[in-house]
Amino acid sequence: MTVLAAPGDTWGISGPVFLGLYLLAAVVVVGGAIVHRSRVVAGRSVGTIDVLGPQQVAYLNGGNQLAVWASLGGLRGSGAVGVRPDRRLTTGSALPAGVTPLDQAIHHAARRNLYARELTRDEWVARALTELREGLERQGLALSPAQRRTARNGSLAVLGLLVLGAVRMGAGLSQGKPIAFLLVAFLALAVTAILLNRVPWRTRAADAALRELRRRHTHLAPASAPAYATYGAAGAAMGVALFGTVSLWSLDPGFAEQAEIQRQALSSGGGAGSSSGSSCGGGSSCSGGSSCGGGGGCGGGCGG
Amino acid sequence: MQRRQLLRGWWRLRRRVRRVTGPSGVGIGWRPEIAGFVAELPGLRFVEVVAESVHGELPPGLAELRARGVTVVPHGVRLSLGGAEPVDPARVAHLARVAELVGAPLVSEHIAFVRAGGLEAGHLLPLPRSREAVAAVAANVRRAQAELPVPLALEPIAALFDWPDDELDEADFLTEILDATGATLLLDVANVHANARNRGGDPLALLDRLPLDRVAYVHVAGGAERGGFYHDTHTDPVPPEVLDLVGALCARHRPPALLLERDGRYPPAAELRAELDALAATSGYPVVT
Repeated sequence: MTVLAAPGDTWGISGPVFLGLYLLAAVVVVGGAIVHRSRVVAGRSVGTIDVLGPQQVAYLNGGNQLAVWASLGGLRGSGAVGVRPDRRLTTGSALPAGVTPLDQAIHHAARRNLYARELTRDEWVARALTELREGLERQGLALSPAQRRTARNGSLAVLGLLVLGAVRMGAGLSQGKPIAFLLVAFLALAVTAILLNRVPWRTRAADAALRELRRRHTHLAPASAPAYATYGAAGAAMGVALFGTVSLWSLDPGFAEQAEIQRQALSSGGGAGSSSGSSCGGGSSCSGGSSCGGGGGCGGGCGG
Repeated sequence: MQRRQLLRGWWRLRRRVRRVTGPSGVGIGWRPEIAGFVAELPGLRFVEVVAESVHGELPPGLAELRARGVTVVPHGVRLSLGGAEPVDPARVAHLARVAELVGAPLVSEHIAFVRAGGLEAGHLLPLPRSREAVAAVAANVRRAQAELPVPLALEPIAALFDWPDDELDEADFLTEILDATGATLLLDVANVHANARNRGGDPLALLDRLPLDRVAYVHVAGGAERGGFYHDTHTDPVPPEVLDLVGALCARHRPPALLLERDGRYPPAAELRAELDALAATSGYPVVT
C-alpha cells in the first residue's frame, strides 16, 4: 500500500509523490512554453520576397552592422562613397536615384568623414536602422522588443517551477531527506529555462525568406567569384547582405581594407541559426547595441 | 571515299534522331561569374559551358537554365585533339558525361594541341597545316566521336604565326578534317579576324572558301590591338571589325547560332546586353535581352 503522506514528509507530501507531480507540472509548463514561443516566433510568411531590399535582407541576416555594410557596399558599387588615406570615409559621386534612408544617412556620415566602424553609432544612421527594423517588424519578419518579451513569458513560468523546486530541496535538505532525483529534474529544467529564454530576433518566416534568397542568389556567393561590375551596386549590396563582408572585400579590396571593414563570411548553408550565430560570434553585428543589446544580450538574441 | 560518305550519313542520321534542339539564335558563354546576368536574359535559348569547369553535379544556375529549356553546349578546351598522341580516354569520357548531364545536342572542341610529350602548354597551340596533321587530328576526332553520345563540332584557333611547312591553306585544312570525320564546324569569327590581321590575308576570302553549310554555331569574342598584333583576349569589347565580319558571314550563309564569349573583366550588364543586341541586329536573330 502506498503511503501518500506520512508525518515526517516535507510539507506533508512524500518525496516520490512530489517528484511525480513536479515532473508532470514541468512537462505541462515546458510544453506550453514551447508552443507559446513557437507561435510568437513564427512570424508571417512573406507573400513575395522580391519586395525585400538588400538592407532589409542584411538586417535579417546579421543585424544593424550587416545592414550598414550592405548599404556601404551598394554606395561603393555606385561610386557614391570612398575612403581617404587616413581611413575616414568620404563622398564620391552624387547619390544615385532610389536610395534608402539608410543610404542617405551613411552618405551624410561619409560627408562628415566618419570612420566606417563608427557608422552604427551615428545618430542619423541609428535612426535609419530603427526605421528599417520597425518596417521588418510590421512585415512579421523581425521580432519587436515587446514580442521578444512575450516569447520569453514561457520561460518565466518555468522559472516559477524552478523556485518551487529550489524551496523544496532546501526544505528537504534541512530535514536530511534525499534530494538527488529532484536535483536532477531541477537541473534539467534549469537548462530548459535557459534555452527557452533565448529568443531569436528574426522570425521563422524570415529564416525561410533568407533560405530562399540564398538559393536564388547563388551567383552572388563568393564561390562564384561574382562579377560585381556586371551585377552593379544592387548586386554588390545583396551579396554583402546574404554572404557577409567577404563580398565587400571581393568587390573592392582596396576600399574594404582602407576602411577597416572586418572580413566576415556568412555560411550559405540552410542553417539559419548557425549563420546568424556566426555573424554575432565575430562581435561585429552586436557592436551597434540596439539589435542585440536588449535583455538576452548577444548570445540570446542571435542564438535562435 | 565511300567510307567517308557513309560516316557523314551516319552522323547526319544520328544527329536527326538524337537532336533535342540544336543551338539556335544568339547565346552567351555561361560562366559562374556572370551566372546571375545570364539567368535574367528573357529570350535566351542557348548557352555554352566550359566542359572542364563542370565536375560531378551541374552548377545550380546552369540547372535552372536547363529546366527553362535552354540548350547547353559543353565546350572542351583540354582534349588536345591536335596532339600527336591519342586523346586521353578519361578526358573524352568526362566530355561525354557533361554532354549527358546537360542533355546537349552536341559538344565542341578545338583543333589544337595543349600538351605534347607529357608537357602541358597551358593554352591552345596551333597545328602545322600539313596532311600529316590532318590525319592525326582526324584519328583523334574519330576516337573521341566513338565515345561521345552526341556530334562533335570543331573550332579552329587563332594563331599569331604560320608554321613554315604548311602544305594546305586554312580552308583546305579545315575542310579535309571535316570531310574525314563528319564533324561540324564551330567557326570563331574573332579568330578569323585575328588570323587575317596578324598573318595577313583576306578574312572575306577565307569565309568564301570555308564550308559554311557545315557550321554548327559561331563564336564571337572581344579582343584588343597590342604591339601591332590583334589579341583574341575574350576580356575586351567586340570590335566593330569583328561585328562587320559577322555581318559578312551572315550575308553569305547565316549560321544557326552565334555565341558571345566573355571570359573576364566583365563589364556592366548594360554593355554586355548591348553586345548581345548588336549580335542579334547583325545576324537578324531575335533579341535575347
